[in-house]
Amino acid sequence: MSSVATAGPPKKTALDYLEKIWTNFWLRTLVKKVFIVWIVVTLTFFIIRALPGNPVEIMVMSLMDSGLSSEEAYARAASLLRIDLDAPLSAQYLDYMRNLLHGDLGDSYVLALNKPVATLIAQRLPWTLFSVGTSLLISFVIGMFLGTLAAYRRNSFLDHFLTNFSAAIESIPNTLTAIILVLLLGVTWKLVPLNFMRGSLSPGIKPGFTATFLVDLFRHYAVPGTVYVFSTLGGWMLAMRSSTISTLGDDYVTVARARGLPDMRIITAYVGRNASLPLITSLAISLGFVVGGSILIEYIFVYQGIGLLLSQAIGKRDYPVMQGILLVTTITVILSTALADLLYGWLDPRIRISGGGGE
Amino acid sequence: MTAMETTSTSRPSRESGLLRTLKLLARNKIGLLGLIIIILMTLMSFVGPLVIPPETQAHTEQIYKPPSAAHPLGTDFQGREMWKMAIHGGRDVLIVAFLAGILTTLVAVTVGAVSAFFGGWVDSLMMGITDIWLTIPRFLLLVVVATLVRLENIWMLALFLAFFGWPGLARQIRSQVLSLKKREYVEAAQLLDLGAPHIIFREMLPNMMSYIVIAMINAMTSAIYSQTGLVFLGVVPFGNNWGVMFSLAYAKNAIYNPNAAASLLVPMGAIILFQISLVMLSRSLEEIFNPRLRTGV
Amino acid sequence: MNQLTNAAMSQRTGAPTLSVKGLTITYQAKRGSVQAVRNVSLEVQRGEALALIGESGSGKTTLGLGLVRLLPSTATVRQGELVYRRTVPGTNGGPGAVTEVDVLKLNGRELRQFRWKECAMVFQAALNAFNPVLRISDQFGDTARAHGYLQGKALTDRARHLFELVRLDPDRVWRSYPHELSGGMRQRVLIALGLLLEPQLLILDEPTTALDILTQRNIMDVLKELRQQLDFSLIFISHDLSLAAELADRVATMYAGKLVEISDVYTTFKNPVHPYTIGLINAVPTLTAHKDRVSSIPGSPPDLIDLPTGCKFHPRCPLADLRCRQEEPELVAVTGTDHWVACWNWQIARRQLSNGGKGGAA
Repeated sequence: MSSVATAGPPKKTALDYLEKIWTNFWLRTLVKKVFIVWIVVTLTFFIIRALPGNPVEIMVMSLMDSGLSSEEAYARAASLLRIDLDAPLSAQYLDYMRNLLHGDLGDSYVLALNKPVATLIAQRLPWTLFSVGTSLLISFVIGMFLGTLAAYRRNSFLDHFLTNFSAAIESIPNTLTAIILVLLLGVTWKLVPLNFMRGSLSPGIKPGFTATFLVDLFRHYAVPGTVYVFSTLGGWMLAMRSSTISTLGDDYVTVARARGLPDMRIITAYVGRNASLPLITSLAISLGFVVGGSILIEYIFVYQGIGLLLSQAIGKRDYPVMQGILLVTTITVILSTALADLLYGWLDPRIRISGGGGE
Repeated sequence: MTAMETTSTSRPSRESGLLRTLKLLARNKIGLLGLIIIILMTLMSFVGPLVIPPETQAHTEQIYKPPSAAHPLGTDFQGREMWKMAIHGGRDVLIVAFLAGILTTLVAVTVGAVSAFFGGWVDSLMMGITDIWLTIPRFLLLVVVATLVRLENIWMLALFLAFFGWPGLARQIRSQVLSLKKREYVEAAQLLDLGAPHIIFREMLPNMMSYIVIAMINAMTSAIYSQTGLVFLGVVPFGNNWGVMFSLAYAKNAIYNPNAAASLLVPMGAIILFQISLVMLSRSLEEIFNPRLRTGV
Repeated sequence: MNQLTNAAMSQRTGAPTLSVKGLTITYQAKRGSVQAVRNVSLEVQRGEALALIGESGSGKTTLGLGLVRLLPSTATVRQGELVYRRTVPGTNGGPGAVTEVDVLKLNGRELRQFRWKECAMVFQAALNAFNPVLRISDQFGDTARAHGYLQGKALTDRARHLFELVRLDPDRVWRSYPHELSGGMRQRVLIALGLLLEPQLLILDEPTTALDILTQRNIMDVLKELRQQLDFSLIFISHDLSLAAELADRVATMYAGKLVEISDVYTTFKNPVHPYTIGLINAVPTLTAHKDRVSSIPGSPPDLIDLPTGCKFHPRCPLADLRCRQEEPELVAVTGTDHWVACWNWQIARRQLSNGGKGGAA
């Protein structure tokens, strides 16, 4: 017989690789996520450039305001900005994508001339992460506690009060909440000095692990942080309440009581763990939206974070900055969603085994 | 076929359904209060301007007058009567809210129901698009695109808000429909080959009516929420509605001026009042339609 | 209050494990007051198995919940006495010291200790009876710890022993999560858990409903074996008469919140005297009876909020007369036996209503 058996393994064709990716759940998800990021980046690239007015014109406007004639202004702007806005859009796009793959987000056009966008973002991002992130955690914890309380004391006065109060607070636009707080705390009751409600840090204080820095940090964080907490607290409380009510109706809770288990154990390991499952994934996802949730508040409190940076960039039509922020935001959201899925799989043994469910 | 038509859940039950809902609502005082306030404020905003002439002139002699008998709600930075401004200021806000709410709900329901009903690639495609939408933080997107598309008037704003608002709701509708799909009457309708549009719009949706109504009210609150933020950032400047009133007041530093408090608080109060009324109504409806949340056995 | 003579009862080994006297439980619903359990009295002896039979809405589950005081907040025990007795084995093999517990008077901590240790209630459809995020071993551990019972290796050994008794593979079950087990397995684990603390009384609510035939058979066999090997009394609540026939020593029939007949199992099937019980027996087809001999009871159970006057069964009873419509009968003893029935016309019932003999096994 001929030695067919010793022919060696067949070569892997490109088709085989594609099939492997398609059938493996994790690889498929990865590809999908990358695809989404790419679409978002491309869309934003073109949409932003479709905005009326471009950086050159805006700079020209402001230069003309300060007295230059239009020719002088144009010449000045062109030399300052050093960008070629006349190049075809497609070439600009390819340039951008190439740079992106090298991790280069480009340089700022206007806001901080020729400073790398990545640096700008890196400077501002920690502030937003800190303020919104801390508030998120505080809001989550308080919300969980109040939600459990309301669920256990269902239909009592406390429950009705908490529920309606949460729903009401939740719906008040955060701008209004912010202004009310500033009014009350800063002006009417004079509890907080007004200069702590502007900026993220007092002038002259350097970041570092010093007490002065930390104290100042919190002083400036206090009011905006409270606004964040107020505007998100209601949502967590209501979510935890309904999840807990639903869990309390589950058979195993009754059986746990029939088994004579102490109340504390039931509240934590039986009701608590099961009721908070859906919330923890919400939390993970919210972390991703941290970056986006801050425009208005940072604007009002002049807090030097990403949100403020974005609104400034929009005003000046600083394309690279806008793109960079949107890109970073999208990636954060996608990462946090993936993290949330993983987390849920880890926490809920029912899902763990199948390696993640369907869409 | 005709037998099915006459016994399907369309006209008769919906009418008595509305009446029944109103009766149940009457027992739930908070919701009723909310509904009354909404109706009153709507009347005030639409009928009021026909009766009370708008304040167009500046009266520099009465700038920032605090509330008194002569000036029931005080005056703003141009000396205009706040109470008149308040009456005129509601129209834009409410139109945007109602319109955006209805549009968002319509699109979300259609997309969600079709997607859930047909499943397969239709579902994947629609949910894929929805996911892309949902990935970018909504307000960020709103701000950026609002600067792009010059929003000339409130109708465009409503459209714009609906355009960005439907994905979230679509997902929820989809899961509702998915759970309804498993019920027997849907299977029965499918066996009878009644056709997808019929099944969706005359069998399933009427059973989800309560959910849809509540979703619409929530879409309205969301529209007002976003609207306020957008106006505040100066991204959509027009008219003289509540949002613009308080943004201007804030820009003029009314916070620091005790006499100017009214110019800030009146529009804020109007927005908050309407918003809370919507929420109260929504919550009461939820309690009515979801018996598990009710008290008693 | 009816009178139960303890004469026949106390001749058995020691005092009854459970004495219920005049228990009345009502729920508060929007429409009115639901009288779920009305003046129920019964006794369960040591090692006895009592079947509580009734349709849905007869109040049997409420009674079960009431025995361990697991009623929802909308329910109240209006009156009654619920006494549980633990008999320690005596020195010469007979009964020893007896401790009495008035279950209705227990406070929070005492109630928690009473539950599961003295009396374990296994609910129907154990599908969701376990915390989905904890392993079976953890849940056993929780239970043991809550009662100061065995820990660590001793607990594991005892659990393994119980698993073997219920025909489960300990290795497969001990470290697994609830969702990894089938419905039948979960039911058996729950039974094993119920026996963990060596209770004197086990209450099973619909132990085999929602399970397929083969699993049902399994559970039945397991229960029979357990009764032979361990010393505990059993109350099981069901609508399934065949279950009663196999497992029970005594059968109590419940209708509209009240006991209408109670007797030993043979009498229930061979010589029932309450029209309702007769109807139930006749409704079960046997292998050899002609198909025309199967009947059902016309009508449906009464609304527990708005009960009819007199005997609650009279609207559906072929023997109902004026007295039945006006006065509700109490349990009386069928002369000289331990067979009790609540019917004005019980003496003629058997004669008039039987289908002329039922062939085959009861």
